[in-house]
Amino acid sequence: MRKMLAAAISRVLSGVTQKPASRVLVASCNYSNDAMFAIKKCDLYRLEEGPPVTTVLTREDGLKYYRMMQTVRRMELKADQLYKQKFIRGFCHLCDGQEACSVGLEAGINPTDHVITSYRAHGLCYTRGLSVRSILAELTGRRGGCAKGKGGSMHMYVKNFYGGNGIVGAQGPLGAGIALACKYKGNKEVCLALYGDGAANQGQIAEAHNMAALWKLPCVFICENNLYGMGTPVERASASTDYYKRGNFIPGLRVDGMDVLGVREATKFVADYCRSGKGPIVMELQTYRYHGHSMSDPGISYRTREEVQNVRRESDPIMLLKDRMVNSKLATVEELKDIDVEVRKEVEDAAQFAMTDPEPPLEELAHHIYCNTPAFEVRGANQWIKFKSLS
Amino acid sequence: MAASWRLGCDPRVLRYLLGSGGCRRLGLVRGASGWSFGRGASWRWLHSTQWLRVDPIKILMPSLSPTMEEGNIVKWLKKEGEAVSAGDALCEIETDKAVVTLDASDDGILAKIVVEEGSKNIRLGALIGLLVEEGEDWKHVEIPKDVGPPSPASKPSVPCPSPEPQISTPVKKEHIPGKLQFRLSPAARNILEKHSLDASQGTATGPRGIFTKEDALKLVQLKETGKITESRPTPAPLATPAVPLPPQAMATPPYTRPMIPPVSTPGQPNVVGTFTEIPASNIRRVIAKRLTESKSTVPHAYATTDCDLGAVLKARQSLVRDDIKVSVNDFIIKAAAVTLKQMPDVNVSWDGEGPKQLPFIDISVAVATDKGLITPIIKDAAAKGIREIADSVKALSKKARDGKLLPEEYQGGSFSISNLGMFGIDEFTAVINPPQACILAVGRFRPVLKLTRDEEGNAQLQRHQLITVTMSSDSRVVDDELATSFTTIGTSTGLKLGADLNTQSQKGLCWCLLPGIPRKQTTWYDSTLPTL
Repeated sequence: MRKMLAAAISRVLSGVTQKPASRVLVASCNYSNDAMFAIKKCDLYRLEEGPPVTTVLTREDGLKYYRMMQTVRRMELKADQLYKQKFIRGFCHLCDGQEACSVGLEAGINPTDHVITSYRAHGLCYTRGLSVRSILAELTGRRGGCAKGKGGSMHMYVKNFYGGNGIVGAQGPLGAGIALACKYKGNKEVCLALYGDGAANQGQIAEAHNMAALWKLPCVFICENNLYGMGTPVERASASTDYYKRGNFIPGLRVDGMDVLGVREATKFVADYCRSGKGPIVMELQTYRYHGHSMSDPGISYRTREEVQNVRRESDPIMLLKDRMVNSKLATVEELKDIDVEVRKEVEDAAQFAMTDPEPPLEELAHHIYCNTPAFEVRGANQWIKFKSLS
Repeated sequence: MAASWRLGCDPRVLRYLLGSGGCRRLGLVRGASGWSFGRGASWRWLHSTQWLRVDPIKILMPSLSPTMEEGNIVKWLKKEGEAVSAGDALCEIETDKAVVTLDASDDGILAKIVVEEGSKNIRLGALIGLLVEEGEDWKHVEIPKDVGPPSPASKPSVPCPSPEPQISTPVKKEHIPGKLQFRLSPAARNILEKHSLDASQGTATGPRGIFTKEDALKLVQLKETGKITESRPTPAPLATPAVPLPPQAMATPPYTRPMIPPVSTPGQPNVVGTFTEIPASNIRRVIAKRLTESKSTVPHAYATTDCDLGAVLKARQSLVRDDIKVSVNDFIIKAAAVTLKQMPDVNVSWDGEGPKQLPFIDISVAVATDKGLITPIIKDAAAKGIREIADSVKALSKKARDGKLLPEEYQGGSFSISNLGMFGIDEFTAVINPPQACILAVGRFRPVLKLTRDEEGNAQLQRHQLITVTMSSDSRVVDDELATSFTTIGTSTGLKLGADLNTQSQKGLCWCLLPGIPRKQTTWYDSTLPTL
C-alpha cells in the first residue's frame, strides 16, 4: 500500500513537472530567507563613491519584484494583443524588456516620492499604484480607466505620478519643478524625472539640468537608454553616448538597467544623495525594449531579430531575477510558475474587463476641465452646441 | 511509511505535500482516494492530464495596419510541434498594404495551425493557431469553439445608459452558432456578411458541421436568382432614434468594438450617418489618375467644325448593298489617318521638352466597357483599307468588352477618336489621353436644311447630314493654326473619301476594300491627294 501510494505520488508529481523533479521539489521546500547578490559596479561621474556592489534580497521582496515584473510584462503583451485586435487605437508605446527599470525604481524610493516620465509609461503606472484593470481599461478608452477613458495611453496619472507626457522631453522641466516644490515644502521628498536617449538631446533637458543644479533641487534625472531613439541608434543620434555624463556639472552614474537589484540599489543611492540636499544627480539606466518604438513600428527594420532574441536570451530582467532566486533557493521554479499563472489570470481578467466595460457617456464630454469649480457651460464645435462641465 | 522512505523526507513534509493548496495538490488528494476504489480506472485518471491542462494560448488574426480588416496567411514559419520562443516569427500575413510577419509573444510550442497557409480573407480576430506552454501535451489540444473576437455574451455589469431600444449587437455569428450547432468558416462569414444573408438559410456541408465557403456561395446564388431574400442577421439600424441623441454613441453598443464614426458595412448600406463606398476597379482608378493628370497638366484647345458626310453615307449604303458592313466611324478613322499622313506635324507627342514626331500612325478608338473607357489601337491606320479598319475595330471592341486586351493593343497610339454619336450626343469635348497630342470627338448625325445654289444658280433647299467634330489638341505641340488646318483638311478628306468611294463603286472597282494591299501599289486615295 505504501509503495503504491508513493508510486502514485511520484507519478503525479512527474506529471506535474514533466521531469523527475520530485526530489528537487522536496529538497527545496526549505527556502532560504534571504541571499546576498553581487551587483555590477556602476560607472561614476563626478562622484567619489557609488552604490554598493552587493545587496541582500529577501524572499518576500524577491517574490514581490518577480510578480511585479511579470505583471508588467504580461500587461504589455496583452496591450499588444488588444491593439492588434483594434480594441486599443491610437498610440501605444510598450515597455516590455524595461520592467527592471520601473520595478527597481519603485523599490528604491518611497511612495511619497514623485515620479514623472515620458509616454512609455505603462510599467511605471503599474508600479506607482494603478491596477492592471484601470490601465487596460484606460487604453481601451472605457469608463473604468484611470483617466475615465478620456486620456488613453499617454495620459495616465495617479497620486505622486505625473504621467505620461506626449511631447518628447517635456517632463524634464516639469520634473525639476516638482523637485522645486519638494524643496520649497521641505518634506525631504525627491522627484524622479525620466527621459529617453532620444530626449536627452533636447534643449529643455539642459535647461532643467541648469536650474536644478543652480538651486540644488532634489531632482534625479534618469535617462532610460534603450539604445534606440525611435528607429535611430544612439551612435547616430548623440555626439556623446555617455548619457550619465551629459549633466556636465551634475554628477552621474551609469547602471545596468536589466538587473532589478542593481537599479534598486542605485535608486536608493541617488535618492539619499538628493535627500541630503546635495542637489540633482543624473542616472543612466542601460536597458532594452523588445517591441518597436510604438505599435506601428515592427521593431526589426532598424535592428535584427537576432539582436532582440539575443537580449531576450542573455539579459531578460525577469529571467535574471528568476535564475538568481532559484539558484540561491529563495524560491522554486514551480512557485514562480504559479505566480506566472496567477499573473496571467489577473491580466486576462483585466483585459476582459477592459473589453467589456462601457465607454464614458457623451454627457461627460466636457467634465473635468477645471478642478473644484462649480458647474458651468462649455461651447462645443459651434456656438449652438453646449456641454455641461462639472469638476 | 514506505512512501516517506522512498521520497527521502519525513511524514510531516509528505502531509504538507499532500495537504497544501493548489489545484495539482488537490487533485493529488483526489487521486489517492480515487486509487483506492479501482486501480485500473484511477491509473488512467491519474495519467490523464485533463486537470493539469492550462488553456492553450490562442493566436488570433492581428490587425497589422490601421486600415486592415482582414488578411491572408502567406506562410507559416513554424511547424506544429515546433518550439517557439517569445519574439520568434510565427507566420507571414499579407495585409492590404504589405506582407508583415507576426511575432509570438510567449514561449511555448505551436500546438495547432487552425488556418492553413494560403488562406485568404481571414477576418480580424479569427483564430489562426494555438500555442501551448512547454511541457504541455500539444498533440491533443482542443480547438476552442468561439473562434471570433471576444464575445459580447458576457454582458457588461453596468447597464448601458441609453434609454433607446438597444440594437441587438452586431454579433459575430459564430458566437451564437458556436453555442448552438454549427460553425462558420471565416470565408463563409465574410461572404454572408457582404450579402446580408443568414447562415441558417443554407445547410452546412463541411466536416464537423462547418458552414463552408461553398455553402455560402450557393446561398448567394440562390439570392441572386431571387429564391431567398436578404435576411440581415442583425435588425436594421434604428430608423428614427427615439431620443434625438447623436447616432454614433447609441448606434454601437458599448461593449463591442467601438465604431465612431459609424462605418458602412457592405450589404448594409444606408445605416444612419454613413455613406456607402463603392470600391473602384483597377481600371477606373487608373483612368481617374490619368485623366486628372491630363486635364490638369495639358493645356487643351478646342476646334469645332461641321462635316457634311452625305457622300460618306451614300458610299456606306452602297457597301451595305454589297454586304460589307462598315460604319461611319471607320470612315472617320480612315480620314483622320490619311490627314495625319499629310500633316505629320500633328502626329506628335509631347515628350517633356518639345514635340516629338511619331513614326507611326496608330489611331486609338474609344470603346466603352462596364469597367471603364478603354482605347484599343488600330495600328498603321493609314495603310489599311476601310474594311480592314472596320474588322479590326469590331474585333478589338469585342476583346475590350471581354477584358482580354493585351497591353500592346491599348498602350501607345498617336491620335484618338471618340464617337458618342450613337448615344445621341450632338457635340462634346474629349480629354486628351497623354502622351498623345489630339483627340477627335465625333457627335451624331443631324439633318440640316441648307440654302445652296444648284447648277443653274437657283436657290435650293437641300438636306445635308452634318456631324459636329471637335478636336481637342495639346496647345504645346499643336497650336491653333495646326489644329484648324487639320480639321479643315480632315473634313475635306472625309468628303473626298466618300466621293471617291462612290465613284469607285460605280466603276465597280473597290480597291480600297481589298485587305492587305501593300503600300507600294497606288491605291485610290493616293491618286487623289497630293503626294508626300
